[in-house]
Amino acid sequence: MTFFDKIDNVIRREIRIWARRPIYFLGSVAVMAFCTVFYLTFLGQGVPSDLPIAVVDLDGSSTSRNFCRQLDATQLGKVIHYGSFSEAQADMQGGRVTSICVIPEGFNRDIQAQRQPTFSFYVNGLYFLGGSLAWKDILTMVNLTAGAVQREVLRMKGVPESEMAGLLRPVDVDVHQIGNATMNYGAYLANMMIPGMLQMVVVIVLIYSLGAELKYGTSRHLLDTVGHDMYAAVSGKMALYTVLFTLIGWAIEVILYKWLHFPLAGRLGQMLLACFLLVVASESVAVFIIGCVPVCRFALSIGALYSVLGLSLTGFTLPVEALPAGLRGLTMMYPLRHYYELYVQVGIFGSGFGQWYVPVIALLLFCFLPFLVMGRLGRAYTYLNYERN
Amino acid sequence: MKGIRETYLGRWLGDALRIFNLELRNILHDGGVMIIFVVAGFLYPILYNFVYRNGILEETPIAVVDDAACSDSRRMIREMDATREMNIAWRCADMEEAKALLQQRKVNGIVYFPSDFGNRLAAKETATFSIYADMSSFLYYKNLLMGSEFVMLHEINGIKIERLSLDGLTDQEADASVNTVLYEDVNPYNRAFSYSIFLISAILMLIIQQVMFYGMGMSVGTMREENRSFASLPDTLTGRGVGRVVLGRGAVYWLLFMIIGIYVCCVVPAMFGFPQRGCFQDILLLLALFVTVCVFFSMTWTTLVTRRESAFLLFLFMSPVCVFLTGFSWPTTAFPGFWKLFSYLFPSTFGCQAFINLNTAGAPLPVVAPQLRALCIQGVVYYILACAAVYVENFVGRKSGQGILARSGPASTQTD
Repeated sequence: MTFFDKIDNVIRREIRIWARRPIYFLGSVAVMAFCTVFYLTFLGQGVPSDLPIAVVDLDGSSTSRNFCRQLDATQLGKVIHYGSFSEAQADMQGGRVTSICVIPEGFNRDIQAQRQPTFSFYVNGLYFLGGSLAWKDILTMVNLTAGAVQREVLRMKGVPESEMAGLLRPVDVDVHQIGNATMNYGAYLANMMIPGMLQMVVVIVLIYSLGAELKYGTSRHLLDTVGHDMYAAVSGKMALYTVLFTLIGWAIEVILYKWLHFPLAGRLGQMLLACFLLVVASESVAVFIIGCVPVCRFALSIGALYSVLGLSLTGFTLPVEALPAGLRGLTMMYPLRHYYELYVQVGIFGSGFGQWYVPVIALLLFCFLPFLVMGRLGRAYTYLNYERN
Repeated sequence: MKGIRETYLGRWLGDALRIFNLELRNILHDGGVMIIFVVAGFLYPILYNFVYRNGILEETPIAVVDDAACSDSRRMIREMDATREMNIAWRCADMEEAKALLQQRKVNGIVYFPSDFGNRLAAKETATFSIYADMSSFLYYKNLLMGSEFVMLHEINGIKIERLSLDGLTDQEADASVNTVLYEDVNPYNRAFSYSIFLISAILMLIIQQVMFYGMGMSVGTMREENRSFASLPDTLTGRGVGRVVLGRGAVYWLLFMIIGIYVCCVVPAMFGFPQRGCFQDILLLLALFVTVCVFFSMTWTTLVTRRESAFLLFLFMSPVCVFLTGFSWPTTAFPGFWKLFSYLFPSTFGCQAFINLNTAGAPLPVVAPQLRALCIQGVVYYILACAAVYVENFVGRKSGQGILARSGPASTQTD
């Protein structure tokens, strides 16, 4: 029996298990399909619109009404009027409005008399995106309102129109967002959340596949089919799952970058490579975990803990620099972290191989992990000398 | 006179107590379940607090390309360096150099002053500078944008006043015509837009729900593997007694998770110096309701679990999904209709919102009434569903003789 025959045997056997136990299909293909649909549809257009903004208009003048109308007309904001601050505050505490603008009494009168009235706004920073976007929106509108008033004042003072722009806005900033020019939050999140879920599913399913042999005492049967060659047994399983998950991953990459046209500066082929490496590295982690702890349920619990934390430690939401010093190194333990580094180079900067070979090497290094535990896992498979449940 | 044991209530209580004891013994004897409850329930909140302890990204390294080389641009660069958000780490001769630094990830943004910047300012025109943000993390962009906007707004005021003074206005007049409206922005619950404060508030309640679900799933799966049903009715009773099974079993989890819940919601925030603006009784009330709903929720959905490990394989991916469904990051008002309805399935959706509002925003109880009402409705619905599940399970079990467990089969069917 050659090595390839053995692998063939394992794959056939694994497919028979798949046919009998729907949990494998549900846990991998169905879960990934659900996650892909969820993360691609949940964020809709990728930029929220019509965030509820409370306005307490104590002035009721033409200026304040004009301000409300203009705030309402922005894409982000939707104005809800309140009679008193306490009502609005209760709704902000309840998360029903993102922010409160208070237009003080005599606002218009004070503006006309150049008494510099103070406009206050309150933001609920606990609903992060809504709060910060409302903050930005209101700030823009306040500056525009102030600018309109200034224009009137300057016009009355006899400033010529040609000088007006320079006086109203002497400095301006031109913002370029590299890698996501439309500020699409959906693209930003889906780019890493879906591969993150793939990492999670690969780790969990492969641990289960290897662990179930121990749990149900079928590992000897598996070893019999490969002539007691542990490497062939694990390689066979890994081969099948690599093909399956790589295909799933590639389908996702094609959906993201070809179908939905999420920004990608580099080539799709480079991302497909990244995806393949992510799958292989995650599988190696799974083999390592079950090898260290050859008890199906413990290994699954560890795998779950590991992969759920992985989403936080990748550094695409909260960058790694902001983590406590002791945790920064730990992020290296996650294939997803290196996938992210690779994505940044390929997807955002469109760099060449010279810039992204380091994450590739890091992902390949994960492939050495199974060798460290092969002996231990082999003994567990042969003697079944660990707790089964 | 009938003894207390012979009345309906007496029998009910006796049965419920028996089931309670049975379930408690099951849990305590099951190492795997205990590990989930204790390790995950006690460790996860600490772990997340530790990961997000800093929460604020400061001093993002920035490269500057100053082609203007005038006093104004130099002053602005100094001011940007002084902001909390930005750190001018590199001064580059040209954009190519800055781009290379960005690619090597030595900086996360570029500020560029064009050569006509100073001339335009001198000519009383609008001078424009550019910022280039690395969008690999939105926090880099936020820092670059906020830092440069603060500096720009500050500069604008100074320059405007200077220009108007040149036109012959007194300083006070110039100030009044520039600052026609003053504003103050208040972010009372999360002053610095800290990442940790908003995330941890949302995640704490979710941990309770998920830990309970996985733990109960494991326990139910074990019973099924051992050809026992989690739903078995006491022999002394007829099929009408499903309520005592659900409540007797539920009480075990309820008690356990009230302990874990108080630790998660009250002790953990105190340990990490987290905002605790809520009233303790209010939080306890919310917790009691939330844990109750979670018990019925877990009981209903774990009916689908046929093996010990299935809960992980089938439902682990739901944890991050539930995080998004709480609406703490992507605003609820922007949810697509279907996902909004979907979010109503989970107690965490309302529990997290209520906890954020009560604990972190310091809202009084009436403010979270809509969430509490939703939790009550969920509780009633899931209680009925949990009872129905037990009833169906017994009904099918009795019909087929050996119980529905035949479908999960003996353990040896894994392979041939």
